[in-house]
Amino acid sequence: MSNIKNPYLPELATVLRVIEETPNIKSYHVVFNDPELMKSFRFEPGQVGQLSVFGVGESTFVINSPPTRMEYLQFSVMKAGEVTAAIHNLYPGDQVGIRAPLGNWFPYEQMKGRNILFIGGGIGLAPLRTLILFMLDNRADYKDITIIYGSRTPPDLCYKDELKEWEERSDVNLILTVDNEYPGWNKRTGFVPTVLKEVAPAPDNTVAITCGPPIMIKFVLEGLAQLKFKDEDIITTLEKRMKCGIGICGRCNIGSKYVCKDGPVFSLAQLKEMPDEV
Amino acid sequence: MNNAEQIKETIARIFPDVETVICYQQGFDGLHATPYFISIPEQVNKLIWNPLCAQNLTSYLPSIKKKVGIVVKGCDSRTIIQYLQEGLIDRAKVVIIGVPCTGVISVKKVLREIGHQPVVDVVFDDNGNIVVKTQKGEKRLAIADVCPDKCTTCQYPTPLVYDHLIGEPIASNKPKEDVYKDIREFDAKTLEEKRAYWEKEFERCIRCYACRNACPMCICQDSCIAETREPHWISQRLSLQEKFMFHMIHAAHLAGRCVECGECERVCPMDIPVAKLKKKINAEMKELFNYETGVNPDDKPPMYTFNVDEAKIKEHKL
Amino acid sequence: MSDTGYLPKEKIKDFLKELAKDAVVYAPCLEGDIVLFRPFSEERTLCLDRPANTPPKSVIYPQSETLFAFQYKKAPEDHQKMSVELKADIGVPNMVIFGARPCDAKGFRIYDRVFIETNTPDPYYRKRRENTLIVTLSCAAPSPGCFCVAVGGGPAHKEGSDVMMTELEGGYVIEPVTEKGRAILGKHVIEDGKPYLKDAQHVQAKAHDEVRNPFAPDELPKISQSLFNFDGFWEQVVGKCVSCGACTYLCPTCYCFNITDEQGIGSGERVRSWDACMFFHFTLEASGHNPRPTKFQRFKNRVGHKFIYYPEKYEGVIACCGCGRCIRYCPVNVDISEIVNYLKDTHQELHWASSRKEGTQPTVGSTKDE
Repeated sequence: MSNIKNPYLPELATVLRVIEETPNIKSYHVVFNDPELMKSFRFEPGQVGQLSVFGVGESTFVINSPPTRMEYLQFSVMKAGEVTAAIHNLYPGDQVGIRAPLGNWFPYEQMKGRNILFIGGGIGLAPLRTLILFMLDNRADYKDITIIYGSRTPPDLCYKDELKEWEERSDVNLILTVDNEYPGWNKRTGFVPTVLKEVAPAPDNTVAITCGPPIMIKFVLEGLAQLKFKDEDIITTLEKRMKCGIGICGRCNIGSKYVCKDGPVFSLAQLKEMPDEV
Repeated sequence: MNNAEQIKETIARIFPDVETVICYQQGFDGLHATPYFISIPEQVNKLIWNPLCAQNLTSYLPSIKKKVGIVVKGCDSRTIIQYLQEGLIDRAKVVIIGVPCTGVISVKKVLREIGHQPVVDVVFDDNGNIVVKTQKGEKRLAIADVCPDKCTTCQYPTPLVYDHLIGEPIASNKPKEDVYKDIREFDAKTLEEKRAYWEKEFERCIRCYACRNACPMCICQDSCIAETREPHWISQRLSLQEKFMFHMIHAAHLAGRCVECGECERVCPMDIPVAKLKKKINAEMKELFNYETGVNPDDKPPMYTFNVDEAKIKEHKL
Repeated sequence: MSDTGYLPKEKIKDFLKELAKDAVVYAPCLEGDIVLFRPFSEERTLCLDRPANTPPKSVIYPQSETLFAFQYKKAPEDHQKMSVELKADIGVPNMVIFGARPCDAKGFRIYDRVFIETNTPDPYYRKRRENTLIVTLSCAAPSPGCFCVAVGGGPAHKEGSDVMMTELEGGYVIEPVTEKGRAILGKHVIEDGKPYLKDAQHVQAKAHDEVRNPFAPDELPKISQSLFNFDGFWEQVVGKCVSCGACTYLCPTCYCFNITDEQGIGSGERVRSWDACMFFHFTLEASGHNPRPTKFQRFKNRVGHKFIYYPEKYEGVIACCGCGRCIRYCPVNVDISEIVNYLKDTHQELHWASSRKEGTQPTVGSTKDE
């Protein structure tokens, strides 16, 4: 009995660093307190973790640092409810709990040798970031990498330093947009789905990966269909209220699929088989 | 023509002025009636009207936006009046078919009498009895003996508000001073006895919230503190303390609002006498403010108003 | 030792006392008008003549339990910082569930697949399950609303039980189902039951014939997807639902739960408690978005979970044991067997589809007297 891992018991971890990404999003660098675990910990890009603030509760976030960079795990947290508010009150040195990795991951093996199109909005860049950094660390495995990313205003863009780096790289095509004109902003304006239409990437040998607010995803999916992307070449990652993280507690299910265990990564082809409860 | 036929005829007449009519049909067995939402007049043939039609259908009204017809008994009509006092429904959008009532049936009491056997058949005779047939035989019970407690002191057998009245009005033959007799008796117990009583009852609570969700006057709906984390007044532990807290808050929120329809108690799967708490508070409201819920649409619930100088509350006298 | 035992009725209390020597024995006891599984003691009134109002699921899967305790402490090396200590205690005594009904016992098999037979077994459930002996009483007659034979069970269905008892006039015939259950035969009030076995089988067969089957006999219900996915159907059949948790909390196969931190000062517990998919809060997200905001969607999910999603995952097994409690105790008489009956019947599908086309609403309850 005692040799069975208790899936509800988090590993203790310490906050190393807090980064203010936007006015309501912060990123956290976190390390397990057990150095051995930090060394042996493995996960795949796109997998999620449950982050605990003891006394308040747990919430699910994607591990948005890539498995190729294991000095720490990064989680990005937008302040929305009770748990995220508590996380926003954390400082370096504070203790948290982590249950990870949970769920499935981006099928990056099948993406090898193909063009990759990332389409993100707001905090939705977090899960894409994992895969982008992973692919940049294995750059030779993939062909063209295009990133369309937008937010409401320029201060709302996440990972600003990395956006700058990607912009300067010749092997990444980064297209940034904000919803409306903004003082000092000289790049595109307009919603992400509109920009997608303007850019009109070719679907040939291309996989599109998208994440963002539900309304953005809805129109991006429509846009990709118009651009003749195949359902199985459109990948998204879902967010749901989760509790157990191991496919039991019953709140993140869409039909017979549990987002915490069978997801969060689904192709559009898979989503179309599921009830419309996203 | 009996009442059921008259109700059917009335319903047929109010279409298409209304989009839906809420009435009753046979439930899963002969001892149960169930709400029936009619949207075309032809559906009316499955309507039933008998003393099993105990449920207070008016609970559905605040959530229905379209114009609706509804069958109400005297006690149910008090909910409508309370809704009107609190502005929870638009009177113009409700067509009320009032039916004077001589008492309904508590299924729980019948089941106790028949030893919880599955029923084979149920009929009503002309002498105010229900005859329940089971595999083990037949039992004839006086409706007056198996009615919910509220019927034993009913003051308003005829609806207080209606657009169509079925049959003749009935006057109450129950003494008014008996309405809170059970509460006065309970009040005579010592504090320890009362505490022990409620602890024993609430211990069974499974926190299914049937009492809350069936309550017509529970209007917090999806924001109930029983489940919210902000505020975090009640934990999800199954302790007696948490159950007590929930039921006390439920009762307190109904102070001067509970119409004593008894739905909370009727639906409780654990047989907890939850209506008693609310009735106790109503007795206090009557005493303090001379206020009776759900009888006059022009009244204001006492907790909705504030007088610096309340006649019967000494603490307010500065 | 014979394979069958016999417990004379007058020795039932002695038997329970014998079991209670090394286990906590939960038995159906009368409390006022209702029957609940309680730790049995002399003062309690045993009630075996009808199924308990609540299934015994809370014995193995408590309505609320502590997953672990946490305590904040000042870190020894830096008093400005707090460290956290976690403590998980999964100590469980030996337990017996006495007088469960076959539907109740089958419910535990529905849970086993989810909680134990997975790559992340739930240690709390598993420990309790392993430490519990389930002594089931077969049903001699159906209860209001129940329909076990229609969902792969029966009044003497043995799945999930360790021992099956069948009531005869003077006593109970005892058939061990598992190795764990076989030990019962060694208890000294148990007599040889071989002479009574035929009578017991006769009682079981008779009861089987008496249980209603609302679906087509001899086959499990197959749900019509098109009707299942038609919103108008749900709006019509569950318009009366008040969205409470009675059906789920009284259900021997419902297992959805919540996890919350319940805090004191500087310490507290992470608590797992039953939750109900009928509640608005169940799927409400911090952003305010709710993937199942209406009671129709929530009810559809409940029926879907039992009759489509669970069978999809577990080789066609239906996650409803037909105990009938959700029907009997529903505040407004929502009848899941009636709803599933609509869903499986292709004629019904045509009926609903045509009424949809004509813009009218079909008559709910139409199968009842046709």
